[in-house]
Amino acid sequence: MSVFGAYRPGVAVAALGLLAAFTAGCEEQTPVALGGEPLPGSPITVTVEIPWSEFASNLEVFGGYGSAEDIGQGVLAEDYAGVLDARTLLRIGAYPRIATVQDTTGASRPDSTLTILGGRFVAFFDPVQSTNTAPVMLQLGATTEEWDPTTATWDLAIDTINDQRSWAEAGGGSVTPFAQATWDPATGDTAVFILDSAQIATWTDTTDLSAGARIAVLDTGERLALNRALIRLDARPSSNPDTIIELTATTRGSTFIYSPYPQPPPDGVRIGGAPSWRTILDLNVPKVIDGIPEFCAIVSCPHTLSPGQISYAALVLTSRLTEAAFQPTDSIRLDVRPVLNRASMPKSPLGVSLIVSPFGRSVSPEAFGSAPGLEIEIPFTGYARDRLRGTDPSGNPTPETLALLSVIEPFSIAFASFEGPLSPAEPYLRLVLTIGPPVELP
Amino acid sequence: MISPITTAAKTVTAAVLVLLVSAAPVWGQSLFNAAGLGTPVEALDGRARALGSMGIGLGGPSIMPTDPGGLARLGISTGVMAASPSWVDYSASGDRSGSFQGNRFPLVGIGYPFFGGMASVQFGSFLDQSYEVTDVSDVDLGDGPVRTSDAFSQDGSISNVNLGFARAINGHFAAGLTVGRYAGSLDRTLVRTYGDEDDEGNVDQYIESGVWSWAGWSFTAGGSASFDGLEVAASVQMPSMLSGNASGETRGSDRRFSLPIQYRLGATANLGPSVLLHSSVVLADWSKTEDELSDAYVTSGSGFGVGLELSRARLLGKDAPLRFGFRRVGLPFAFEDESVSERTLSSGFGLVLNETAGMVLARIDMSIERGRRSSANLTENFWRATLSLLTSGF
Repeated sequence: MSVFGAYRPGVAVAALGLLAAFTAGCEEQTPVALGGEPLPGSPITVTVEIPWSEFASNLEVFGGYGSAEDIGQGVLAEDYAGVLDARTLLRIGAYPRIATVQDTTGASRPDSTLTILGGRFVAFFDPVQSTNTAPVMLQLGATTEEWDPTTATWDLAIDTINDQRSWAEAGGGSVTPFAQATWDPATGDTAVFILDSAQIATWTDTTDLSAGARIAVLDTGERLALNRALIRLDARPSSNPDTIIELTATTRGSTFIYSPYPQPPPDGVRIGGAPSWRTILDLNVPKVIDGIPEFCAIVSCPHTLSPGQISYAALVLTSRLTEAAFQPTDSIRLDVRPVLNRASMPKSPLGVSLIVSPFGRSVSPEAFGSAPGLEIEIPFTGYARDRLRGTDPSGNPTPETLALLSVIEPFSIAFASFEGPLSPAEPYLRLVLTIGPPVELP
Repeated sequence: MISPITTAAKTVTAAVLVLLVSAAPVWGQSLFNAAGLGTPVEALDGRARALGSMGIGLGGPSIMPTDPGGLARLGISTGVMAASPSWVDYSASGDRSGSFQGNRFPLVGIGYPFFGGMASVQFGSFLDQSYEVTDVSDVDLGDGPVRTSDAFSQDGSISNVNLGFARAINGHFAAGLTVGRYAGSLDRTLVRTYGDEDDEGNVDQYIESGVWSWAGWSFTAGGSASFDGLEVAASVQMPSMLSGNASGETRGSDRRFSLPIQYRLGATANLGPSVLLHSSVVLADWSKTEDELSDAYVTSGSGFGVGLELSRARLLGKDAPLRFGFRRVGLPFAFEDESVSERTLSSGFGLVLNETAGMVLARIDMSIERGRRSSANLTENFWRATLSLLTSGF
């Protein structure tokens, strides 16, 4: 016996198709209730400020991360803020040995017999990060002692494990003066030093470890940021001696040396600088909150905290005046990372950044100069939850030590300073807690 | 050689079986889902809807779980599936209004001859519970007020899986028993977000949720009697406590709810050669449940319905009985201490696709209802369509 009869084989398909079309044509929309009644599990939100002594300990400041060479930018200063002297050292790259020129017949062809007649050393400055608004006098000279761009300091020309050599004269050794030039930020960002052929020939041998340029500022009380430098060479090609062509030689490395080198702060937090400073601390999110009147007025105390109740967690630092010589002139970008093995400090590897933004937490330079006392929040909500839970989402133990550092190390000679644990404005932990009853059945 | 006719029959059978095992969830159909345990969704087919029936005493074979006695009149193996989309407009106090729509599959069932009677498996809807609600306010996080948005969503339903057996006692009487198992789950989640929609800031969401699975039993006994021109059926459904069992990660607790004994009575009378009059009534006292609910009011779940079927109508050369009905049934849960009911006017038709020796082998039943659910502060006007496909003899 058939269901649809001998002559209606398509009826079944048609009926099913109708049923499918009937139901599929209706989009599902969940009813949105009118509200007005308390929602099941409706929570309260409270902000809690945990003092330093209840969540953190063992604050230490470590310096020496990276090298001034890593910045790729120079610093010049002479008695800046009454203390800071800084000079920039540069290695000069190989000069061009061949150029395509038009010969006397007008044909272009390569010429490898070039006679360098002279040139110009061009320095490009950063007017924003430089403190001067008036013209300053600069001096260019040639280094005469072997030096290492990675490890050179104000006192040491080379500071490697097996080789430590002081400058004959602190601040770059004895330098052969080449030329002076004026940089006026009102007219541009460049300063040009005129060089003769003998001076240019000084930097011809790129294997000579003593060959290099040193730029210093002669006027006192300013700090200049040097972006880059190059040499414009005037050369005469042998194929057309009546013509002068211009070639460009670049630098192949630079660093800056400065004095005095800042000492670690005895009572505060320091982040940044070149080489860079890091501050580390042990952090423990309290499992039980009690004794905070504002909190206990809303939530029954003592309250046992669960990770899901932490909606926001941030370390709050209060900025303070940085030593004048090292005050930032541009924004400082702070980062916070877990220290994976504190016992290995200062060489412990760090975990990934806890700050969502890849640019870190930006702080304006005024917070460390003209307007100290600014509270800066460094959020790490996910870490705080993991710390309270004891493990991260992968089940790995959560490091209990955090490092505060610059997003890019090193980034600038300037560093950020914050109040430490012994200060009235000591760091504290700010928690936004969302606490609600369990959602129950109606 | 395989006959295409046989293939078609197998297709229908396979479709029924697929729907049986998939048991599609019941979707949101009413704002009253937010009250108590939700809104009842009766496991009715298109004919019952068109006649305003409570699902009993419709005359002829029935595979609805509310009519165990009618099952005995199937005679041959039968399958049924029903789909029921609805379109709802609502208006509430405070000039709030809106609309939504949804679809559900209230009934999937199959009956097969067994031990001189008829055994059945039915998947039926029971309570629809899905809804969402959002509450916006401000909190002070120390730096001034911050906007908070609490989004509560409830997703779930209670269904009923039934195993039944019915047998004709003699030419006039039949009796049946159905054992049902309540099933389904409920996911209740509250999410608090901080900040504006386009600037949520760096304060993370707070999420609190719980998942409960529903469990319970129901036993439905019923009988039907058939006389010249009159069929009468009655059933009584005795449920156990309905248990909401929290999943392992749910902080909320297990709960148990009383369900009412439901009495159903229905009758269909031949007023003439081609006119059937149907009426039915359901009595359900949900009052015991109120004590177990934390924030809802319970009203009566009783109701009645009447309908008229003009059986001689034809469409495309086939029997296509026309049906009209009216029903009024109480919604058991309300937001305030008041009576809330659903009233519908319905019409529809059946289309007998194949019939042999008086046995309907394939039929579709279609109904359209225009209804209203109203309380003091909320009124829903809705259109609801129900299409069911019944096949036999596979």
